[in-house]
Amino acid sequence: MTLVGQSVAIAAKDLRIEVRGRYALGSVLPFAGTLLVAFGLSLGPGRTLLAETAPGLLWLAVLFASVLSSRRAYEHEGEDGALEGLLLAPIDKAAVFIGKGIAIAVQLLALELAIVLLVSGLFDLSLAVAPLTLVAALFLGTIGLAAVGSLFGVLAEAPRAREAVLPLLVLPLATPVLIAGVRATALATAGRAGEAGSWLGLLLAFDLVFVSVGTLVFGFLLEE
Amino acid sequence: MTRVFGAAPGLVRASLTVERGDLLLVRGPNGAGKSTLLRVIGTALAPTYGSGAVLGFDLALERDEIRRRTELLGHRTRLYEDLTAAENLRFACAMHGVALSAVPAALARVGLADVAKERVSGFSQGMRQRVALARALLRRPELLLLDEPYAGLDAEAKEIVDAAIAEALADGRTVVLATHDLQRGGTAARTIVMDQGRIVG
Repeated sequence: MTLVGQSVAIAAKDLRIEVRGRYALGSVLPFAGTLLVAFGLSLGPGRTLLAETAPGLLWLAVLFASVLSSRRAYEHEGEDGALEGLLLAPIDKAAVFIGKGIAIAVQLLALELAIVLLVSGLFDLSLAVAPLTLVAALFLGTIGLAAVGSLFGVLAEAPRAREAVLPLLVLPLATPVLIAGVRATALATAGRAGEAGSWLGLLLAFDLVFVSVGTLVFGFLLEE
Repeated sequence: MTRVFGAAPGLVRASLTVERGDLLLVRGPNGAGKSTLLRVIGTALAPTYGSGAVLGFDLALERDEIRRRTELLGHRTRLYEDLTAAENLRFACAMHGVALSAVPAALARVGLADVAKERVSGFSQGMRQRVALARALLRRPELLLLDEPYAGLDAEAKEIVDAAIAEALADGRTVVLATHDLQRGGTAARTIVMDQGRIVG
């Protein structure tokens, strides 16, 4: 089986488990919703302030959702030593990184749809001004977050790892995605999509770097 | 080979040769290092010091070649709770390049054909062990590493394990069996005894 076939098999397995466990729907989405409502209440009733902070809140919710989804992607590998099965399978170990990255990205995209609608409703975010730019920012940001989550999620399954390992690694590394995503979203929703090109470029560069690095080094992380 | 876990030695200067087609029986008390030995041979753990070859392949440099030819059945079943028995085996087929058509026969052999479409989360420990055994039977590995394969199994399932070992040996394949069950492994060509990480007999 090729690297693509192995990756697809791992992604399909993860998504099947996710659909049956309903973790994203039952835990991550309520968490993101609570986060948005809490921030909305703390910022007060001013419509202008809420609209200005909406892109940031949207991406914060996406970022935290990505950390939870990445943690979950490896959690079921540790339930009864399943990760060892992947280690001992004679496959290209990059397939585990890519497969899990695909599964995390698919879950995140589904969550983002709900989060965007929630932010739009709560904070009056204008989605129709430049929808393509908004979709591009979310798509590119999702790939980057999924790559970082898939790469470092495996470390949280290490024997001596603690719960905090994943957020401690992912949150600082994902800062460029957060900054570029917020800026591109703010420009897209403010009707200045033409100025968002450089931020989308930054997201694309981040994706290329982390997908490449992950593909190259994941096998080493898994073996160690 | 030596394998150290932090400051604690799991395997201490173990030196071992197994002839192809033989059954090697590994005995010893809990914590003696039996599982560590099998996991090092099966490339689940790398030796901290020392070197070795399995089926003619270097343990450090040719791990994937060893993994293609080896099956390690350990304490943990490595199953996904939210997948069915058949889905777990189909995933193993995808990872090991085995035809999916092997799944029904493997499940039938361990007596689980009727629950193939049920999720593993509803299975007893014995049934899970059977699914893990079925996964091991999907392939015909040149080296079978069985770490306490009888634990948690009923008499019928133990017979299935015995039959799998007998079949492997009849095919000229090699089996390393670690067990506390004194009634098993009677056909072993050789027995080693381990204690505190060392091969002592």
